[in-house]
Amino acid sequence: MAAPISPIQPVPVALPAVTPAGQGQSGGAVFQSVLNEAVSRIDTLNQNAQDSVMKFLSGEGGEIHRVALAVHESQSAFEMFLQVRNKVISAYQEVMRMQL
Amino acid sequence: MSNAIQAQAERYMDLLAERQRLVASNLANIDTPGYRTKDIDFQFEFMSMAQGASPQTIEVADLPARNDGNNVSLDRETRLLAENTLRFNLAASLVLSNLKMKRLAIHEGNAQ
Amino acid sequence: MSLFDALSISASGMDAQRQRAELLVQNLANSETTRTPEGGPYRRKDVVFSSTPQTSPFGAVFQTVQGGGEGVEVSEVVEDLRPVEKRYLPGHPDADAEGYVSFPNVNPAEDMADLLSATRGYQGDVAAISAVKSMISQAIQLLGA
Repeated sequence: MAAPISPIQPVPVALPAVTPAGQGQSGGAVFQSVLNEAVSRIDTLNQNAQDSVMKFLSGEGGEIHRVALAVHESQSAFEMFLQVRNKVISAYQEVMRMQL
Repeated sequence: MSNAIQAQAERYMDLLAERQRLVASNLANIDTPGYRTKDIDFQFEFMSMAQGASPQTIEVADLPARNDGNNVSLDRETRLLAENTLRFNLAASLVLSNLKMKRLAIHEGNAQ
Repeated sequence: MSLFDALSISASGMDAQRQRAELLVQNLANSETTRTPEGGPYRRKDVVFSSTPQTSPFGAVFQTVQGGGEGVEVSEVVEDLRPVEKRYLPGHPDADAEGYVSFPNVNPAEDMADLLSATRGYQGDVAAISAVKSMISQAIQLLGA
């Protein structure tokens, strides 16, 4: 004859308290600040490029190669941003498609 | 090509452009009485790496002068004209290929 | 702006040498002219070059080039003060009382040599423009990288 089955004991493991979203540093907030930084950097580069072009055209000074490089840098940063944004969007869409 | 090297290449191009301007000036004044040949101390200006600062114009020593005091040498200026152009275009090419690589990396090798 | 300033400096050089060449050609063409509207034979003329602080074509009217770069201009046209050449030709319509005709103080060999010098100077400026154009082209390529 089999021994009686002992009742299931509670597992003595402390689970971390689940905090509601919006409190403390959640993943969403971190990403938002990274995004903001990127946008403000692009804005700065764009402003630099425009200043550079204006100074050159008005004769105030600046070398043509520096103007070209400033414009290129701002375009480049913007393109990089677009690529990242596209990746994020497609990753999000993929997650949304998942059957849960 | 690191950012530091590209910054150096930009400074290099700045100085070469300024040097070429002085060559143009020397050539334009090759028959001006009393005109003395102008240049910049390229090595010194490049080493000092003063970002954005205008290089100092100097008078070139040891050039024989003609009767009217003009010491511009057509040979010297022609040689510098070619040299400055080649160096500048080389630096520009290096920077260009670096920029193209970066663009390629951003677009992951796909044509834009 | 160095490269663009260089273009306008070279252009000023070309302009000055051209004016010099035109005057030399005029001297040569008139080397035997014994009669002019002002009276007397043609008198040789020459240009005087002087360097100028070059203004950039892009810049404001009073914008000057940084550093020592200078263009050039013809600051005056002067008359050659060497004496006229007198030849004894009593039958000549322009002969004076003693039978001498005054001919221009132009030495064709001298002016031909000067013309050669002006041509070389002009070519130097053309070479400079060509070189600077190539540099500007290369720099502009960086924009579309």
